Amino acid sequence: MAASEARRRFFVMALTLACGVFACGLRDARAAETHLQQSATTPAPMSPDPAAQTAANKRATKLVTDETGRRMAIPLNVQRVVSLAPNLTETIYALGLDAKLAGDTTYCDIPPAAKEKPHVGAPQDPSLEAIVALHPDLVLATTSINRAQTADALLKIGVPVYTSNPHTMAGMLSATATMADLLGASEQGAKLVAELQQRLDTLHVALQDRPMAHVLFVVWEDPLISIGQNTFIADALRWAGAESVIVASQNWPQVSMEEVVRLQPEYVVLTSDHLTAETHERVNNLRDRPTWSELRAVKLGHVVMASDEFTRPSPGLVDAIEALAHELHPEVFPAKAENRKVKMENGACFYAAIPAAESGSDSAKGCGRCAR
Amino acid sequence: MRPLTPRRILAICGMLAAILFVVVVISLRVGAYPISMRDIVVTLYNGAVGNGDSSEFSQVIFGLRLPRIALGILVGAALSTSGAGFQALLRNPLADPYVLGVSSGAALGAMLSLIIAPHTVGAIQLAAFIGAAATIAAVYFLGRRGGQLDSATLLLAGIIAASFLSAIIIFLLTLVNGPGLRSMTFWLMGDLTAPPPTQNVLGWFGFLYFVFIVAAGAMYTTSSDLNLILTGEQEAGHLGVNVTRVKLVVYVAASVLTGLAVSVSGTIGYVGLLVPHVMRMLFGTDYRLLIPTSAIGGAIVIVLADTLGRTIVAPTELPVGAMTALAGAPVFIYLMRRRIR
Repeated sequence: MAASEARRRFFVMALTLACGVFACGLRDARAAETHLQQSATTPAPMSPDPAAQTAANKRATKLVTDETGRRMAIPLNVQRVVSLAPNLTETIYALGLDAKLAGDTTYCDIPPAAKEKPHVGAPQDPSLEAIVALHPDLVLATTSINRAQTADALLKIGVPVYTSNPHTMAGMLSATATMADLLGASEQGAKLVAELQQRLDTLHVALQDRPMAHVLFVVWEDPLISIGQNTFIADALRWAGAESVIVASQNWPQVSMEEVVRLQPEYVVLTSDHLTAETHERVNNLRDRPTWSELRAVKLGHVVMASDEFTRPSPGLVDAIEALAHELHPEVFPAKAENRKVKMENGACFYAAIPAAESGSDSAKGCGRCAR
Repeated sequence: MRPLTPRRILAICGMLAAILFVVVVISLRVGAYPISMRDIVVTLYNGAVGNGDSSEFSQVIFGLRLPRIALGILVGAALSTSGAGFQALLRNPLADPYVLGVSSGAALGAMLSLIIAPHTVGAIQLAAFIGAAATIAAVYFLGRRGGQLDSATLLLAGIIAASFLSAIIIFLLTLVNGPGLRSMTFWLMGDLTAPPPTQNVLGWFGFLYFVFIVAAGAMYTTSSDLNLILTGEQEAGHLGVNVTRVKLVVYVAASVLTGLAVSVSGTIGYVGLLVPHVMRMLFGTDYRLLIPTSAIGGAIVIVLADTLGRTIVAPTELPVGAMTALAGAPVFIYLMRRRIR
């Protein structure tokens, strides 16, 4: 009986509480109507002048179809961009448009300044609310890391999301040009794309008579994951005068060691996690691992550490391609294949290939960008 | 035990609904986008009277938070109700759509429909229902020994079915390329963020809730008979209960509910197992009370779990399935030990 009494009291309490909340809500609703009218005239919490500008610009839009076929209206004068992938963030910086970058993801670490921008979460599962809270004119996404749901959900609530879908270097360059156009920086875009294209052409001319190096590109060591034919990495390898030995229709196939032993690649290309200093350690580990150590490429020391830029379809990828080409075809590029620091206009430094054979003793040379 | 009057059912359900209301208010209030209570109420009021605007407030409230809450309520209620149904149908307290492999069956069906007909609205729901129904039928027949439904054999059959179906799902996942794969991996962990597949959001939720109410309502009509069946099928038969018909209704209804939940949110574990048990401990085993309390309780749990999932590691979000498993397992162990003592 006592229990049921307590239960009844609890029920009454809960109901009263709920009614109270509801009543407060109603009162607030009436009181707040004037507040809403006020807030309607000042749409963005910025300084008055740019705020008025943004309001005016928001009205002028153009219809755009992105690389996944989604149609949307994008403001003509985009002032605030949220990037949902590291390569897009990097491209924005390479275009010198970082002032327009309102936010990026927790994965965006190149250049280091990108880490200081407000984050909206990881690329695969960003907080949609956090994106909206940054008041973006445009959100940039890419099929290589973002989920279709994210773009769909944002478009559904009226936030334009332009998704790029590069499978080749040409695709990456055209996506870069389109991004520059959308951000109102067509000139910078054309300049950057021309420069990158010219560097790629130089490589092509230098390498066109050379046989392709047969490489195993390692995306992930354990389990061993490599690349398929239709990935931008496969295309980037071709520009570097290399060909993946793995033939797969999947983009990121899991490969058995047996297959690797059978194919006997000339080179093993690993991607470095740039910020960890254990690159040499990892090569040595590979030499100690049973099946790996038996590979001809490993025995000959033909293990190349490519920059992590290689996994990001961004302007920095061209640096990585050049470095890898120098590594794989030293006879074509007599200049010593050493650590290269490629200075970009905004001062970012990209750490290119490290010769695998070198020991880690002289680690002082490191990279300016991460102070190592 | 006091007699179960309609008044008592209403009182208890009213209390649970009040708790659900408070949870919903909290869920509307918290998130990465800061909105004051007053702005929420204003936005809701404006939306309700039809002069909704395209402000960021209404984007967040109507575009992001409300659909997620509505989906959470639906999924929680459907999973808990179907859990309660399976527990009666199989006369096994550990029955649950997740444990019995029914969720995996529904997931496999939904996945196949995503691969074959990705843009047909409603196809996923139908395929998920077929997957759920086929799985529970297989588990039911595998779980019989000498014509009798054996509790341990049944659970083993469920576990085997679940792992077999998961293996098929993994096989399919390796065949699917790129972004589709990524979406499905998230979906399999239980995810409430997927936007409705049509432009007509209200119509979509109307369809989902209509299916839920029909299926849960059908199950509710059998609740008095279920009480008798739980004391023994033969005894219930002697008392004039059409045992075969009742079991068929519960079987179809529970499969529909599981398929419905899985098709929109992926596989979310523990809710269907845990919530009916908690409700039994609080309010007794009478199915006339257990079905509605489980439905509301499940809604509370999912909305709460999802709210926590999108706030504790903000701005990144935890999938709701991870949240329910994280919170559900310890609570279940606690309840089990308390019961033994």
